[in-house]
Amino acid sequence: MASVYIPVQNSEEEVRVSLDQLPRDATDILDILKAEQAPLDLWLVIAREYFKQGKVEQFCQILEEGSSPEIDEYYADVKYERIAILNALGAYYSYIGKIETGAKEKDNYFAKATQYYNRASRIDMHESSTWVGKGQLLLAKGDVEQAYNTFKIVLDGDPDNVPALLGQASVQFNRARYSESLELYKRALRVYPDCPGAVRLGIGLCRYKLGHFERARQAFERVLQLDPENVEALVALGVMDLHANDATGIRRGMERMLVAFEIYPYNALSLNYLANHFFFTGQHFLVEQLTETALAVTNHGPTKAHSYYNLARSYHSKGDYEKAGRYYMASVKESSKPQEFVLPYYGLGQVQLKLGDYRSSLANFEKVLEVYPENCETLKSLGHIYALLHQTDKALEVLRKVTRIDPRDAQAFLDLGEILISSDTGAALEAYRTARILLRKVGEDVPIDLLNNIGVIHFERGEFELAEQTFKDALGSGVWLSLINGKENNYVVDAVTALLQYKDVNIFHRLEEEGGNVDLLPWSKVSTIFNLARLLEESHKILSAILLYRLILYKYPEYVDALLRLASIAKARSNIQLSIELVGEALKVNDKCPGALAILGCLELKNDEWVKAKETFRAASEAADGKDFYASVCLGNWNYFAALVSELKKQVKHIPVHLEKAKDIYSNVLKKCPANLYAANGLGMILAEKGQFDVSKEIFTQVQEAGSGTIFSQIPDVWINLAHVYFAQGNYTLAVKMYQNCLRKFYYNTESQLFLYLARTHYEAEQWQDSKRTLLRAIRLSPSNYTLRFNLGVVMQKFSASLLNKEKRSADEMRTTVSELEIAISVFGQLAVGFNQNIHGIDEKKIETHVSYCKHLLDVAKVYREAAELEEQQSRQRLELARQVTLAEEARRKAEEQQRLQMEKRKQEEELKRVKEMEERFERVKEQLKSSSQPSKRKERAQSEDEDGEHSEKKRRKGGKKKRKDKHEKSHYETEEVEADRGEFQEDMDEQHNDYEEPTNQLNTVYDDEEEDMAQDPRAAAGLEDSDVEDEMGAPTTASRRKQTWESDEDEPVYRPEDSSSLRENNAHQQETGTVRDDENVNNVEADDDID
Amino acid sequence: MKLAGLKSLESAHDDSIWAATWIPANDTRPFSLLLTGSLDESVRLWKADDDVVLERTNTGHSLGVVSVAAHPSGVIAASASLDSFVRVFDVDSNTTIATLEAPPSESWQMQFHPKGTMLAVAGGSSTSIKVWDTSTWQLVASLQIPRPESSKPNDKIATKKFVLSVAWSPDGRRLACGSMDGTISVFDVSRGKFLHHLEGHLMPVRSLIYSPSDPRVLFSGSDDAHIHMYDAEGKSLIGSMSGHSSWVLSIDASPDGGAIASGSSDKTVKLWDLNMRAAVQSMTNHSDMVWGVAFRPPGGAGVRSGRLASVSDDKSISLYDYS
Repeated sequence: MASVYIPVQNSEEEVRVSLDQLPRDATDILDILKAEQAPLDLWLVIAREYFKQGKVEQFCQILEEGSSPEIDEYYADVKYERIAILNALGAYYSYIGKIETGAKEKDNYFAKATQYYNRASRIDMHESSTWVGKGQLLLAKGDVEQAYNTFKIVLDGDPDNVPALLGQASVQFNRARYSESLELYKRALRVYPDCPGAVRLGIGLCRYKLGHFERARQAFERVLQLDPENVEALVALGVMDLHANDATGIRRGMERMLVAFEIYPYNALSLNYLANHFFFTGQHFLVEQLTETALAVTNHGPTKAHSYYNLARSYHSKGDYEKAGRYYMASVKESSKPQEFVLPYYGLGQVQLKLGDYRSSLANFEKVLEVYPENCETLKSLGHIYALLHQTDKALEVLRKVTRIDPRDAQAFLDLGEILISSDTGAALEAYRTARILLRKVGEDVPIDLLNNIGVIHFERGEFELAEQTFKDALGSGVWLSLINGKENNYVVDAVTALLQYKDVNIFHRLEEEGGNVDLLPWSKVSTIFNLARLLEESHKILSAILLYRLILYKYPEYVDALLRLASIAKARSNIQLSIELVGEALKVNDKCPGALAILGCLELKNDEWVKAKETFRAASEAADGKDFYASVCLGNWNYFAALVSELKKQVKHIPVHLEKAKDIYSNVLKKCPANLYAANGLGMILAEKGQFDVSKEIFTQVQEAGSGTIFSQIPDVWINLAHVYFAQGNYTLAVKMYQNCLRKFYYNTESQLFLYLARTHYEAEQWQDSKRTLLRAIRLSPSNYTLRFNLGVVMQKFSASLLNKEKRSADEMRTTVSELEIAISVFGQLAVGFNQNIHGIDEKKIETHVSYCKHLLDVAKVYREAAELEEQQSRQRLELARQVTLAEEARRKAEEQQRLQMEKRKQEEELKRVKEMEERFERVKEQLKSSSQPSKRKERAQSEDEDGEHSEKKRRKGGKKKRKDKHEKSHYETEEVEADRGEFQEDMDEQHNDYEEPTNQLNTVYDDEEEDMAQDPRAAAGLEDSDVEDEMGAPTTASRRKQTWESDEDEPVYRPEDSSSLRENNAHQQETGTVRDDENVNNVEADDDID
Repeated sequence: MKLAGLKSLESAHDDSIWAATWIPANDTRPFSLLLTGSLDESVRLWKADDDVVLERTNTGHSLGVVSVAAHPSGVIAASASLDSFVRVFDVDSNTTIATLEAPPSESWQMQFHPKGTMLAVAGGSSTSIKVWDTSTWQLVASLQIPRPESSKPNDKIATKKFVLSVAWSPDGRRLACGSMDGTISVFDVSRGKFLHHLEGHLMPVRSLIYSPSDPRVLFSGSDDAHIHMYDAEGKSLIGSMSGHSSWVLSIDASPDGGAIASGSSDKTVKLWDLNMRAAVQSMTNHSDMVWGVAFRPPGGAGVRSGRLASVSDDKSISLYDYS
């Protein structure tokens, strides 16, 4: 064992100090050293020995003693040793400063180190080792440039100073000037070939950094040859092996890491790599242990960043986003530059996205993009966030970029489709299709959501067959197929029974048994099944749809949407009771379900439970909590109807209140959701109600345009309202067109109420025959609606009156008039006979008035007819006469001609013969001719003149009479009757108007009396239409729902169970009941009768 | 089974055609005639085999012809219009044999007894079937749908039970009628007694027809877009066929009893295979609602193939080969 010998002062003796047996208490040694005034190099040797043994305290004690002022004084001339001691202390403090983690202590240590070096410098400015020490210190402090200058000073003096060379190499390495660094290491090695392995390690690292992996490997291996336990070399080799990225490499790398770990368990790098490995093997506990150790032992930013990253990743994969986020953040802080270590930014972005902190997430992903501008994953995440932040354009831009960079990224197309779906279904479909093709190409299973979404788009675009096929593709095989294909139809033969038996689950039990008790309906497929059922419903395969809904309910009894659909089907088949029951089921599951409440409200309206319905709508609206405005719009409608009812009940005061309220509600909904077509329609109605037709027309037109995209957002009501506005503005042609289009487009021409509107428009346009035919059609469609028959009578009466009123009346017209009147009387008569008023709600007295008025007209018409017929007969006779006259004249002309010819002939003959004797005879013949023709002519003329005279006299007489009567009739038609008449039909057509007391003041300001009726009318009608508003309110929600499905399966795309026509019918019913006539009009008619 | 379009005659009437039936061939006239009634208030007779040729136009109705019926003998026929009058006329001479009216009852669908002894007319708001003797043209029976016991006199029975459609069973013992509220009522004709209701529809039943091959089976078409198949004696629903997207306005059974044809406001004519209980064909000749479909009865000189005629609001008649 090595020993040092401390020479005893003033003697030749020496004290032997065994280096491995240094006393624990350094004071003993110090005493000896001081007492014997031992040379300072001995102090240093002993101190170094203490340090090697890890006895840092003693080391410090000795050196500090050795650098104390008294020693300085005593050994004033021993410069080098004093400097060495100071430098040793400086080196020590810079080292502990470097490994110290606390910033304050760190500064302290560095300050101390600086102090010692400065003292050393004061002893000898030029001592190179001091400079080297200072360089190291600067390097430890991270002041690379200063360190460079310091080492340079040394190297300028002594280019072969190995420590300075190494220091400078280190500086260059840190400045990332690897080739310079390599040169310096090489020089050091040349100067001092036996230098420790560390130098070669430096070479290896430089080579590694320069990309000379093989030579780097050689260098590291050489290090290991020299020092088999060199951890850095082991780790470096391990890292290289790991990066080789093949199985053997990774295994060998891990082995090296383990060896390194066993040799020195505190190498942060190896710890990180081990942790990384265990992360991939899923041993999260080990990951945490290792990284925590690594964090404890290192101070190196990037390494720590890596450790934090490992830790964060581990928590991330375990789903502990809070912790993961914290550690990612720590990691980011450590590295601070995304260029160096970008992964934690990505991780942080992901975690923040999960935690809903979109903006921060966005910022982090953008940092990742700064480093890797074309990283598809990051771009997709960005796209996703933009979508979540509703920055659709940006999202689209980003995702389009992804699809450009990698046209085979199915996920990108999926995301693209998802974003496009709300704006451009066509493009969305295209994107989805591409995604589907891409997935199929690589042989991956196409996710059911994707197919579902494709199906939904087809569905929305009305491409039912494609949609059905897609849904079926999405679902694969299962019990649903047999349900759709009708194999189970034997079990339930019709939709009604199927509906009624909705609680009967035998069929599913049986199916389950047949299928060996496999899961009938996995949760992942429920949405698609539901959509398929919706589709079947839309394609009128009601039974199959019902069975599918029931299948869903069998497995998932709390699936409210299926219950609501069943309720809706029941309602469509007017099974209100069952419908209410089903909604009740749904409310049992969730008593705050806005959809269920809204349907319930509609059902209650159908049952005429107004107050209840209002409460229900209010509850629904509250339950929806501003997310869905269906119920709010319903409430608006309710108020609107209430206004109409108030009109009916003549509660004038309530009308403006209700209208105002309805308007407020619609406006509010529009404020929150400007795209709500139903609310817009409602607002349009209120405005029309107030007579602001131009504005309301504008609104209706816009709603109509907006709704024309998909089958779910088309609102027939708005067409009708638009027609009403046209009507109110007197634009009958357009109104007719609009009504007809609406009928054709939405109702298969089956809606008799619309035919009634149409007839009224024709009536106003005085197109009596069109009006009549339209009414007849309506009667054919709706035979038990007696209002239609009544109106028919009115139209015919009016038509007849108009014919009678004409300046010139042909006999044909008069015959038509008579027959029309006869039919009108029988139509009225039928209404009057034997029915009690409750059947059709038309006042008998009113009918009687009409009948008597018609009878009166009939009498007039008969007279006219006779007159006209007589005239007709006369004119026919006259014609006949004229014809005869012409004929006679013709005959005469012919005869004359003949005679002339004969004469000429004879003349010729005469001339030819020139027989004298004949002259006499010729004379006689001439004489004869004259006498025979002239008298007959005269006779004829006289006769005809005679007749003419007679006729004209008669005519004159008659004409006079007629004129007189005409005047009388005319005046009385014009003065009273016409007005009365005009009023009548409208009144009947839009009973609402005349029956409800109209807010006359309000309207009179805008319209004169005649128009009043019309003005009111559209409002009434608008009211009807609006009822549907509530129906399809689902539309705006569809898109978002679908999106949800796509994201997670919690929510399904539900098309809001619509509930068309509930209120309309209700209203229609009101109309039916409200046909009481205005007294005024009755008076008018009666007055007419009196006059007559 | 298959339908093949033979001929579509546009503007066969001046306005919507609302009713169609076939007048069977007989000794004096060896071919069947197609009889159509229209909103234009006329009734027309057509020779329709491979082409549709107008034989004659009968006028005299007012307010549009809603129903036509042919006597099994092929000698007389009846037409009913919205003014509630039924005109019975000689097919070949067009002489009016009788004008029937039973106020305040309206006249809707009509059908002659299979033996021709009686004419049944759906009586609308009278909630009854009016049965007329075809020799005396006297009203012999008024089969009334009973009021539900609970109903108050003010109830809208007349509206709910409004009788729209009527059908004789092939043996002539039963009469069925369809109402606005979707119920079908079955009567025992000889005893003049109401038997029972058939339930399942909740919307107007506009067309009824008994199966020619099975006297118990009754088919119904309703505004709920469904065609139902009932055991009319056993009171049970035995089948329901959906496929139309709007009201089913008219149905007829093929003479062989294997198929049903239906006309709907969705503008299509569908052929239903009764074994499969599904639509096997959907014809789209018409551009507006199809008010009437009628299979040509078998018989007549040189007639081998089946014919189906359909009439529509688009004023046209379509003729199909049925095989």
